Parts: sequence; C-alpha cells; structure tokens
Amino acid sequence: MTTLETRKLCKSFGSLAVTQDVTLTFASGKRYAIIGPNGAGKTTFFNLLAGNLRADSGHILLDGRDISSLDVTSRAHIGIARSFQRNNLFPELSVLDNIAMACALQQGIAPSFWKPMKSYTGLRNDALAVARQVGLEDDAQIAVRQLSYGSQRQLEVALALACKPKVLLLDEPTSGMSPQETARMDHLIKNLPRDITTIVIEHDMDIVLEFADEIVVLDYGRVLEQGTPAQIKASSIVRQRYLGEEGQAVGSRAP
Amino acid sequence: MSLTRNQIRLLIGAVIAVLSLVVQPRMSAFAQELFAEAAILAIFALSLDILARSGLVSFGHAGFLGLGAYAFGGLTVLQNWPAGAAVFVAIAIGIVVGLIVGIFAVRTSGAFFIMVTLAMAEMFYSWVFRSPIFNGADGMGGVPRLDIKSLTGLDLNNPVSFATFCIVMCILAWIVVEFIAITPFGRTLDAIRQNPNRISALGGRVFSYRLAAFALSGAIGAFAGVMKVQHTNFLSPDLASWIISGDVLIIAVIGGMGTFVGGIIGAGLLVYLKEILSSNFGHWYLFLGGIFIFVALVLPRGIVGTFLDWTDGRRASKSAPAATESET
Repeated sequence: MTTLETRKLCKSFGSLAVTQDVTLTFASGKRYAIIGPNGAGKTTFFNLLAGNLRADSGHILLDGRDISSLDVTSRAHIGIARSFQRNNLFPELSVLDNIAMACALQQGIAPSFWKPMKSYTGLRNDALAVARQVGLEDDAQIAVRQLSYGSQRQLEVALALACKPKVLLLDEPTSGMSPQETARMDHLIKNLPRDITTIVIEHDMDIVLEFADEIVVLDYGRVLEQGTPAQIKASSIVRQRYLGEEGQAVGSRAP
Repeated sequence: MSLTRNQIRLLIGAVIAVLSLVVQPRMSAFAQELFAEAAILAIFALSLDILARSGLVSFGHAGFLGLGAYAFGGLTVLQNWPAGAAVFVAIAIGIVVGLIVGIFAVRTSGAFFIMVTLAMAEMFYSWVFRSPIFNGADGMGGVPRLDIKSLTGLDLNNPVSFATFCIVMCILAWIVVEFIAITPFGRTLDAIRQNPNRISALGGRVFSYRLAAFALSGAIGAFAGVMKVQHTNFLSPDLASWIISGDVLIIAVIGGMGTFVGGIIGAGLLVYLKEILSSNFGHWYLFLGGIFIFVALVLPRGIVGTFLDWTDGRRASKSAPAATESET
C-alpha cells in the first residue's frame, strides 16, 4: 500500500532546476534510501516532502490525499517527521526536555497553561521511552550544548521519532560522525520500528545497502534509477554516473 | 547545598518580595511613593519579559501601558464607571488589542518586530496626543484609585497602603508569569525562542504561540498602565511615548532578559538612580545612560542573568560532568 507519493514534482532556484519531474511512490512500512552526488537535490527533495519548500509544480500525496499546499507544521501534524542534516535542536534544554517538547507538541499538550509541565507524568515516560529507543537514556539530563556531536545526531533522530510519524525522513543521520558514532547510528536506524515508512539520505553505502529495501538514485534533480540494492549495484548507468567506472562506491568498501 | 538555577531565581524573587513588604511601611512617605513607582514599573517589565520568552523583543510596549491607563482613566473619569470594573475592562482591552496588533506584529521578528511594535505604539501616542476626548497633550486629571477599603481595610489614597497594594500586585504578576513559564505553554515559548524552525517542524504553530504570548503581555502591560495612572491620578500621552518603551527595555536588559526577577531588580534600580541623579544633576539621563552602558559591558547577560551563569559555573566546577536539572 502506498503511503507517500510524488507526481511530477519540480522545483527550481532561479534557472537551476534542483528537482525535475520526480515521480516516486513509497510503500507503507518499507525503507528507502536516497543517494546521489552532492548537489543532486536530495535535501531539496526532503524539503519539498516535509513542506519546508513549496514545489513549483507537481503533487505530493499522503495516503492518497494531496498535501502539496500544506505547510511544514500541518504536514508534521498528519505524520511527516524529519531530522535535519545539521543539528537543529533546543540547545539550552536537556536531552529529555528536548524530546518531551516534541512529545508535548505531538500529543497536543503544548498549548495548555493551567498545569505545570511536570505534572504530565505520561509525557516524561514517553520522552524516556524515546530516549531509550535512540540510546540516550544515560544522557537524559544533560543539556544539549554539553552533549557530544554524535549524541546530538541521535537526539536529532529522537525528535523526529517523538512525533510518532507515518513517514520518517532522515537527512544524512551519520554526517560528520566518527566510525564509532556511525556504528551506533547504524544500529539505531536498523532498529527503527518497521511500521514507519522511512526514507534516508545517506552517503555511507554500507549502511544504505544493508538498510534499504529500495534505493532511489538522484542526479541533477532527476530520478536516475530506482530498485532494490542488488538492482542498483548491478545498474550500469548508476555505476557510470555515481559509483565510479570501476563499479566501486566512492569512499566505501567493495560491495 | 546546591540549588538549581531556577531555585536561585525564585529565592531572589521571594527575598525581594518579603523585604519590600517589611521595609516599605517603615520608610518615609516619599520613599513609599518610590516603592509604588518601582513596583508598577516591575509589573510592566514582567509583561515585556514574558513576551521575550518567545524570542520577541518589543520596542513599543508603552503602547500597552498607555492603553491600560487611558482605558481605566477614560472609563472612570469620563464614564463614571466604578474603578473595579474599569480594571477588568482595561485588561480585556489589552488582550484584544494585543491580539489585533499581534496578528500583524508577530509574523515578523528581530528588527522588523521592533519597528512594527514601535510604529503601533506611536500611532496610539499620536492619537491620544491630539484626541479632544482625553484633552490631548494637556492630559486629564482626577483619575481615582481603587476602593478596596471595605474588602481589605486599606485606604489606597494613603501612600503606605497604596505602595503595599502595588507590591502585592507585583508579586501576583510575578507568580503568574513564573507559573505560566513552567506550564507546557511557557515551555513551548522558551523552546520557540531557542529554535522556532524546529518547533514548526515538530508541528507547533509558532505564530499562534507568539500571538498568545503577545496578548498575555498586552494584558499585563495594560494592568501596569492601570496601576500607573492610579498612582499619578493623571492621564498623559507621555505614558505611551517611546521613551517609556525604551526605559522598560533597558530595565529588562540590565536586570537580565528572561529571568523575570531581573526586571524587578532593574525597575527598582531605575527608580532609585533616577531619584538620586535627578536631585543632584541637571542632565541626569546622561549619567543614567553612562551607568547602564557600564552595566551592560560588565554584565552582558544582565545582573541576574550573569549572576545565575556564575552560580552555574561554580556548580559545574564542583561536580563534573555537569548535568542540568531536568525541567520536564
């Protein structure tokens, strides 16, 4: 069953077309990876899906409903959550308070002004559960600005997870991480709940090939190829344009 | 003993509250006038600070002060309303105008927000400055004080009673903003200040939260105006002038933006310095400006803000790794 669908999505910045006629379907509960060279339009595509940017033309459908005209907040409400390529957190709050903020917004508690936040014990438990899910339970009380970069990346994913999304968009979750941190993130995203449709932008081909049920290759804003990891590895056009002539991903072990 | 940042803040506020209530009745009638003035200014600073929680700094806050004052003065003097009812209507007008102005203002932030709020306040100023209803630039006297004698035994026409009343109202306003700050709504405002874009991405309507904060700020600001005009018994367009907006901004910054109690200390400091400087020097604003520039240079996060940072530092050096309190 299709959860998310794009139809002939286009976006240009001036004369530069960053997304061109992108038509894709994302089945519910499946895992996708979007790969492509720098400047291929991957993050722009995420910005279009999440509503940070409005498409010039084309449509986005969630569960068959056209959501093209909804803004980022409304799309978050109906189940599209994203993490960011650059950490985008609440620096003065603790890890737990960051997650609790996301939970409070998701559960509709955030507007209430007649009871202290502390008295919502369910909220605290939910936040703790998410912290545990991403492996941050030991750092729960630490303020974000005192947190290591790798843990901040984990919290970035945690905030998106706290939204209880239907569709989870992870923008380069391992970017800038050390090998150990990358291994932790790899573990984290492999253990994400299977019922969430997850789309990951990622450069680490080891992670991509293991994680994804299906891979989409973007190049100059167009869908160059899509298919299972095996199909992508075998695709001659992908080898030529992206993986390098010798059939070996740049910066990655031979598959 | 290791108090958290929040506990220290609340402790400072409680000490100031108790000290003011104890010391004020024992002082001269003149000093009591100053206490009343400072307490009213502190309420006004609190209204600015609750808005600052959401990351918006207004430079037109005197608009709300003037609005509350003119609503209260107009209703009591011109319409012969009972003062009690006029208080509530003035606050309600503060909320309604806050919502209407906010719809335009809170779409912006930073310098644009400063310009929009300044423009709105100046519009109100120039209206009352020329308005024949309120006697224009000459202003209008005879504004009564609340009659709470039968309720509390306090005759507010007495300096000591009025000062006590102002201090109690300031404490109430402080409790209100401190309480709102720990509710989910207040926490969301604080998170919006830190990162509005992430709040949007998490499904929070930043505009609505800021609009609500602006209306709340308008209500408290109007209430400060109600108190102010009861103190002076006189309506004047100057209540809404940008100089007052500047004063309250200076107070909040010097005291420590976002600390609430900082605004209270700043208000006391401004009233006190104004008094000693203006009785000794002709160009007292010049000296005041110098003092504030000095404080801003030495204490970049304001008096209370810098003090809290200092206690944070001490705590961190005592117990590494430093953990912050969870405010969940």
